[in-house]
Amino acid sequence: MSQQSVSRPRASLRQRAARAVQRDWQLWALMLPALAFFIVFCYFPMYGVQIAFRDYKAARGITGSEWVGLKHFQKFFASYYCGRMFANTFLLNLFGLIFGFPIPILLAIMLNQLKSQRFKGFSQTAIYVPHFISTVVLAGMIYLFFSPTNGIINHLITASGGKSIYFIMEPGWFRPLFIGSDIWQNAGWNTILYIATLTGIDPQLYEAATIDGATRWDKIKHIDIPHLIPIAVMMLILNCGSLLSSNTDKALLLQTSGNMSKSDILGVYVYSVGIAGTKAQYSYASAIGLCLNVINFAIIMLVNAISRRMSDISLF
Amino acid sequence: MTASAKKNQKRTRIRETGKDRVFNIINGIFWIIVLFIVLYPLWLILIASVSDPDAVLQARVLIWPVDFSLMGYDAVFQYKELWGSYLNSVFYTIVGSALSVVVTLACAYALSRPFAGKKLVSLGITFTMFFSGGLIPIFLNVRDLGLYDTRTIMILMNLVSVWNLMVARTYIQTTIPNELYEAAVMDGSDHFTYFFRCVLPLSGTIIAVLSVYYGVARWNDYFTGLVMLRNRSLYPLQLVLREILTSLTSTGSSDTFFAAYADNLGGLQEALRKAEVAKYCCIVVSTVPAVVLYVFMQKYFVKGVMIGSLKG
Repeated sequence: MSQQSVSRPRASLRQRAARAVQRDWQLWALMLPALAFFIVFCYFPMYGVQIAFRDYKAARGITGSEWVGLKHFQKFFASYYCGRMFANTFLLNLFGLIFGFPIPILLAIMLNQLKSQRFKGFSQTAIYVPHFISTVVLAGMIYLFFSPTNGIINHLITASGGKSIYFIMEPGWFRPLFIGSDIWQNAGWNTILYIATLTGIDPQLYEAATIDGATRWDKIKHIDIPHLIPIAVMMLILNCGSLLSSNTDKALLLQTSGNMSKSDILGVYVYSVGIAGTKAQYSYASAIGLCLNVINFAIIMLVNAISRRMSDISLF
Repeated sequence: MTASAKKNQKRTRIRETGKDRVFNIINGIFWIIVLFIVLYPLWLILIASVSDPDAVLQARVLIWPVDFSLMGYDAVFQYKELWGSYLNSVFYTIVGSALSVVVTLACAYALSRPFAGKKLVSLGITFTMFFSGGLIPIFLNVRDLGLYDTRTIMILMNLVSVWNLMVARTYIQTTIPNELYEAAVMDGSDHFTYFFRCVLPLSGTIIAVLSVYYGVARWNDYFTGLVMLRNRSLYPLQLVLREILTSLTSTGSSDTFFAAYADNLGGLQEALRKAEVAKYCCIVVSTVPAVVLYVFMQKYFVKGVMIGSLKG
């Protein structure tokens, strides 16, 4: 009986394959450019990641260089800065999450309560605008506004009797600047999902609440917030998955010789060791990058599994 | 639309309580503060860009332009390297985004239909969102392909974003009824005809959304150029801006950039003085295209994004 069930699909498999090709080849043709992109620019590098276990020599290429096992990983974990970089990366993301996460929810709830449709539309349009500013310009704005000599912030500080602060060189100011500017740029944009959820709430609920004498505050507490909780939990889970990821491009722009003790995060280190350095250490930098990617991947899987068990909310 | 109209009607019928009025006032104040925080930095840049350098340096420009002058823009027009990179960015953005949109839509359509092996393909694509070879293997791969330091890599890098692909697929799945496909097949159309004749004409919203997403991402990206380019004449705008705006970073001071144009701007001293305002002008000139694109397209795309995100 078991033999039958094995052999039967096999016989029809070939037929089915032939039929599938005949039926689906046009779909494959439409997918081809995108698939080629993913294979060449995503999967080729995954194959090339083996240089993390080799000593890369340009002349011998990726597959020809000598195997060295875990040498680069050991070197990295034994290095003096390893712990500091993990801590910096983690804390930057953690504080970013703590301060950045609640704000979009607050904005969405308050926006939903605005009575004038015009003002509401204007506010909504306005809070999205910073999202369209480039990282370079954002960093430039920080350099300009927080400049120790000409910046408007320091002028305000000195005008009110304080002492001028060299923000961009102070290690203690790196995280506030980084996270603050991130909130300024993205908090508005991140409301989209919450606004969409609030718009989807049945208006009859509000009407019934009004008739029962609920105030606006009551309606927020008993209608808006319960509706927002599932999506907020999902966003929180998603964000927890990126606690060790790095915003390399932004950190690179805000890193100065002065704030290194707080700003050298893993992603920036990979860039400076592997690409920017005078003598690029490809294998060593790849090893660090691989570590980071594996850890991040594991965190996402873990977080996803936990959330699926606890709340039935999962990414996949 | 009708729902919110109904809601308004209701509100006017039942009088607001005192508590509600207090809430409304607090909310109004809240939004004035939020809008101030969001818009004031942008306004400051705009007015500083048309003020006199000395007024800007002394932070006298706070509410309105002081000693209105266009000398900053005048200086910016002299920066040949900036305009070269501007053209590069226009090229990368337009060609790159057009290609991205076409490739993404074609793939999204295919993924919206059932076919053998679909699960595997979806998994393979989604996987790239959560795991990558890392910066160095990506860089070495590009170099081995002979694409390092070329315009081609600026187009091909980040060609398809998995997120955008998913949004497009969801859009096609939810807005184009399957009955249309069945009817088209009945009339003898195949996937190609159906995609080009039926799906594309019905995808206006999602094309707008994807164009803005890809376009803005490409216009604002400096990291790809930083890693993949060496030849300065291929630099995108953001990479040149980086040198102008974040002068403390490793790759040389911005003063050398401005000093190169001293002859045309009335001497070194004057060139550096103007540079203080020119920085603000550079921000305006580089940011306006992205923001304008957003403001014009926003009607479509906030809607489109919601469709994509809610059901995806």
